[in-house]
Amino acid sequence: MNQRLFRPALCGNLLAATLAASFNLAQAAPTVSRLTPPSNPVLETATTLARFLPGQRFDLQATVQPSADAGIASVAFAVDGVTVARMAHDGTPANQYAAHTGLVKTGLVSGLTAGTVVASVRAYANTKPGLHSLKVTATDSAGGSSTRVGNFEVVAINAGNGRRAKNIIFMLGDGMGAAHRTAARIMAKGYLQGKAQDRLAMDTFPFTGMVMTSSLNSIVTDSAPGMSNYANGNKAQNNQEGVFPDDTTDVFDNPRVEYLSEYLHRLKGTSTGIVTTADVFDATPAANAVHTASRGAGTGIVDQYLDDRHLTGLKVLMGGGRKWFLPNATDSTKPQPLNGSQRRAASDYVLGADLQAGWGASAGAIDADRDLLADFQTAGFSYASDNASLQAAGTPAKLLGLFAYSNMNVAFDKVNGRRGTSSIVADYGFPDQPMLDDMTSIALKVLNHDNRKGFVLMVEGASIDKQSHLMDSDRWILETIEFDRAVQKAREFAQANPDTIVIVTADHECSGAAIIGASMVTDAALRAKASNTAEMRDSVVGVYEAARFPRYAIAADGYPQTTDVDHKMLIGYGANADRYEAWVSNPQPTQDSQQPFVGQAPLNTYPASPNLRNASTGYLVVGQVPGDQAVHTATDVPLSAFGRGASLFTGVFDNTDVFFKLGQIVMGGVR
Amino acid sequence: MNLHLSTFLLALAGSAATGARGEAAPAPVPPGPGAALLASGAAADLKFAEMFRLPIGPRGLEPSARLLALAGTQVRLVGYMASAEHAVAGRLVLAPLPVSLGDEDDSLSDDLPASAVFVHLSPAHAGHVVPNLHGLMQLTGTLQLGAQEEPDGHVSSLRLLLDAATSQRLVEAADRAGATPVRRP
Repeated sequence: MNQRLFRPALCGNLLAATLAASFNLAQAAPTVSRLTPPSNPVLETATTLARFLPGQRFDLQATVQPSADAGIASVAFAVDGVTVARMAHDGTPANQYAAHTGLVKTGLVSGLTAGTVVASVRAYANTKPGLHSLKVTATDSAGGSSTRVGNFEVVAINAGNGRRAKNIIFMLGDGMGAAHRTAARIMAKGYLQGKAQDRLAMDTFPFTGMVMTSSLNSIVTDSAPGMSNYANGNKAQNNQEGVFPDDTTDVFDNPRVEYLSEYLHRLKGTSTGIVTTADVFDATPAANAVHTASRGAGTGIVDQYLDDRHLTGLKVLMGGGRKWFLPNATDSTKPQPLNGSQRRAASDYVLGADLQAGWGASAGAIDADRDLLADFQTAGFSYASDNASLQAAGTPAKLLGLFAYSNMNVAFDKVNGRRGTSSIVADYGFPDQPMLDDMTSIALKVLNHDNRKGFVLMVEGASIDKQSHLMDSDRWILETIEFDRAVQKAREFAQANPDTIVIVTADHECSGAAIIGASMVTDAALRAKASNTAEMRDSVVGVYEAARFPRYAIAADGYPQTTDVDHKMLIGYGANADRYEAWVSNPQPTQDSQQPFVGQAPLNTYPASPNLRNASTGYLVVGQVPGDQAVHTATDVPLSAFGRGASLFTGVFDNTDVFFKLGQIVMGGVR
Repeated sequence: MNLHLSTFLLALAGSAATGARGEAAPAPVPPGPGAALLASGAAADLKFAEMFRLPIGPRGLEPSARLLALAGTQVRLVGYMASAEHAVAGRLVLAPLPVSLGDEDDSLSDDLPASAVFVHLSPAHAGHVVPNLHGLMQLTGTLQLGAQEEPDGHVSSLRLLLDAATSQRLVEAADRAGATPVRRP
């Protein structure tokens, strides 16, 4: 037989020689160790893994490893038996996709046989609905050849199926599971005699489903595939966004899958808006527009927001992350004054000719000294650096808002800053940061101005997740309340503009948050409790009917006057790390340093000074997970839908299914 | 507020004012103009709030005249160690507020204030991992300005270079903090 078993090359050559000897192979042949897009086993009962809307672009790729005897001679891709592209190792192209193909021989990951090549066909697209077979054929210089077969599906759009949506508003509460929503409702609206006294905006959406959130390589995802799976209908690996995994070390050359923003911009001329309370390079915002195998490659990510705005139709970008937009002149001949820039060559991007030709993507450059902020302005983006300049921006054609150095401060601290009861935002140097609902309103105003082609807007409440990781209950609940106020703005827009679909969902659940009950004591009594389990837990945590109905007075600004009410709601965590729990809100945005609040192992963090030995408050809650932060869970998350096509979002479905539902609503319509 | 206001103060002055130890001058960085203003060997107190123009303007950080004057000289900082999920050998980050560096999920999307200072241990301790320490710390060393890439992917704008003696004291205090476990009741 021509095929030979392949083993990871730790002992590959030795094993190969042994196998060759023991099986007495007449002829060695190359091996295709990876075929992209990845397939499920080609079984009738398996769910097709890679699915695409008609005409949605994606890359074909194969990693071909030679046998010990002969180098790779050619790699050819065929779909449904018809050759799509054939590449010769010596570079002579022999196909119509010539400019879109690439054969990479260097910069590969370790552990591969010498002479391995990665062959790509960029920006392939197929418009015929149904299952398609994908076959790659590799030949070597000795005449040996082998093939590998996979499949992918093109999902039909039912055309003329009813009224279509022009605009998509995708509200993402990062880490927001059912408990997060419930806790926000209890705090913001109150319950009496078993009834919620009012609803969150997201509660009023008429259709709700449950979303399965796992990634390509785990039941527990992170925010990169968490957003990417929604945005392009395909599974991605943890840490990766808009791409499939590959065998090169370059993080910007991975096989791409076209995002909804790119697909609709290309086919319909839609615009794109991205609004977040996180650093704008972070995974959730980036996984709507930028393709990378490393969610941390900040310089290249922010550069591509601008450089490839012709692919996404980017008109609005708002959030934190100013540190990426300032020139960094490390090692340059043009020294810059100190400005806090985080740009660096190692996280920047340059694209190969095949990606440029296939996708129309910009070449990129290693330019840590780029003044990206000035480049955005030159490209016609109005710039807002704080809430005052945001409110004064009017209705520009394009808008960039950078309100913090990295992540924006959380609602708890922004609100207390506005009330004058906290100096946290001033300490950070950004005392006038906008609230997410204001950012959302203004984004909608800009996107809807002269809006003939429609838009895709993603709004993220980012620190629901970040504060859940820190197990800071008061802060993530307020983040959820702030996010819901932004949802209300989206709902109002959709009511005024009925050709709009609004989705409220989460990328995953974070921390296993649970509403365990309420305090049996007043706030004053709670603060007087001694720091041990009997006092802090047993005489405080009211379960079942002892929880009754926690009441929070809401101030005129829409937020609780304080979260430290008598008999306050109590939150537990199923995916927690070690922490000391005192139930009262933390004046600082993260765990109080006066106490070994969330140490690593308690061994390492207990201070040596005898003054502090008994100074900490709270009782030790031992964590389920190692480290000092809570983690994501695999729990399904609720998704609520409002507006045109909302009826599609019922039942239990995969996060990748959401992409196809949105495609149907915009391209084909829903009755 | 239920905070106990006692603070965990690590006073680690490594200035050459301790004549008895006869330490050599600490840093290879040429002293900035501020050096002339200081008594020989004395460290200047520098607050985080004094480093940059606050509030931060529409573009990047703007160093204050005081910060620029102190470049290359001995300064004393009081702040909190930013706790890290994955510690990096030979350095810690000092911030005006107790914060966490981003975890695996967040990477460089973090809550680190712009004025955070990257504190480098002396070359002798370059491989030493400092465990997360809680409470206020007072550190003295040479202030270094300018963008520099750190091994963990950050680009630091401000650095405090601890001299050998200060670095040694920090390492010993950290080891003591780690070595004396006190179980809570």
